[in-house]
Amino acid sequence: MAAAPATENSAKSSRNKGGALAFSLLLLTASAAPAAEPDAVARGAYLAAAAGCEQCHTDADHGGQRYAGGRQLPSEFGTITTPNLTPDRATGIGGWSDADFSRAMRWGIAPDDSHYVPSFPFVFYNRLSERDLSDIKAFLGSLPAVSRPGLAGAGSTALLARARAAIAVVATPLPGPWQPDPAKDPIWNRGAYLVATIGRCGYCHTPRTLLGAPDADRFLAGTSAGPDGKKVPNITPDGKAGIGNWNEDDIVSLLTDGHTPDFDFVGGAMAEVIKNTSRLSEEDRRAIAVYLRSVPAKSSPEQK
Amino acid sequence: MRSSLTLLALGAALAIGAVNSPTALAVDKEQVIKDREALMKEQASDMGSVKGYLDDKADQAKATAAATDLIQTMGKLPDVFPPGTEGPGSDGKYAPKPEVWSDGKDFLAHRDTAAGKAEALLAAVKTGDKANIQTAFADLGKNGCGACHGKFREELKK
Repeated sequence: MAAAPATENSAKSSRNKGGALAFSLLLLTASAAPAAEPDAVARGAYLAAAAGCEQCHTDADHGGQRYAGGRQLPSEFGTITTPNLTPDRATGIGGWSDADFSRAMRWGIAPDDSHYVPSFPFVFYNRLSERDLSDIKAFLGSLPAVSRPGLAGAGSTALLARARAAIAVVATPLPGPWQPDPAKDPIWNRGAYLVATIGRCGYCHTPRTLLGAPDADRFLAGTSAGPDGKKVPNITPDGKAGIGNWNEDDIVSLLTDGHTPDFDFVGGAMAEVIKNTSRLSEEDRRAIAVYLRSVPAKSSPEQK
Repeated sequence: MRSSLTLLALGAALAIGAVNSPTALAVDKEQVIKDREALMKEQASDMGSVKGYLDDKADQAKATAAATDLIQTMGKLPDVFPPGTEGPGSDGKYAPKPEVWSDGKDFLAHRDTAAGKAEALLAAVKTGDKANIQTAFADLGKNGCGACHGKFREELKK
């Protein structure tokens, strides 16, 4: 069945509301309705597409094959070469066990015990459900194996960058799989889960402490010094500093087409994010909107 | 009526800008930046009209006029980015990146891309097929407007 969109075109197929809704509910309650369970590869493909794994793990500028890595990625922790995620045993992750994959995704530790720098957003994937992790692995395992000699799992070798990365990771809470709040609606829980995991909004929109960990008191409150040194807007529901004057539809529209309520089309880093969110189902985009409308409003320090 | 007068005034301002010498343009920097903002807002409003049609809040005639205007305003874009007009708009949120002028060829290529997508949007609007329009709308927005903003627009820190 086609309930798990994996491509840009799939935004349309996800309008198959019954399927997509059942799908969303399944993600929430991993044990529910085994009879209606879409297959793991399709679910994993949907999650991987919405997370945008391919953006970093494909060297598109040099004709690299999908998910085969090799892209040179500048980061605040030095330039890294992205690993090959295809099931090639020698240069990809074909030899990885489920436990290897889970450890890499949740804790940023490769099977050879080396640590990834947090450009690989494992601090968000830390919160994925076991089932979603296993479905993503199933999807990656279904890809054609591509041999791409070169660095398979290495990150930056710059000592200072490593040290900073290590401090940031140690300072960042990694509580493991996200737990739904039974007091809240399923749609809120779904939105919170997506923001905390594959959406990873906080990567840019939450300022960091001096140690490099996300500042929990300023969750999604924006910063004038984002990961690229760029200004990142406040997306809490504060009427002045944030997006308090946006309604749910406005947020859904941004995540679908990339336009703000006054029809400014975002560029830069957020345009890359829109490529991912446009692959989400309409229900999942709405869930994110519902959740974002509910987070604590924060004024911007410079506007006090 | 009022908006068409504004358009007429804008068009006249642009026409004057286009035929004037660089010296006069330098003098008119403030005016060019105002025209630039007005042009962007006009395009934003056009996109809003198309979206309104998609959401059953505006009729097809309005969306057709808006898509037609998008094509026309794409043609005017170089006129509101003459050399020597760097600097932020009135709200101080954005400014053109220097690449608008240092990589002018690519800037024009982005404009051409956007103009092509605006043509496709008009064609889609004329069919009245909402699914087609949605696709063309998103394509123009993301890969036309958004692509240019990403490469040539600087978000300023406050």
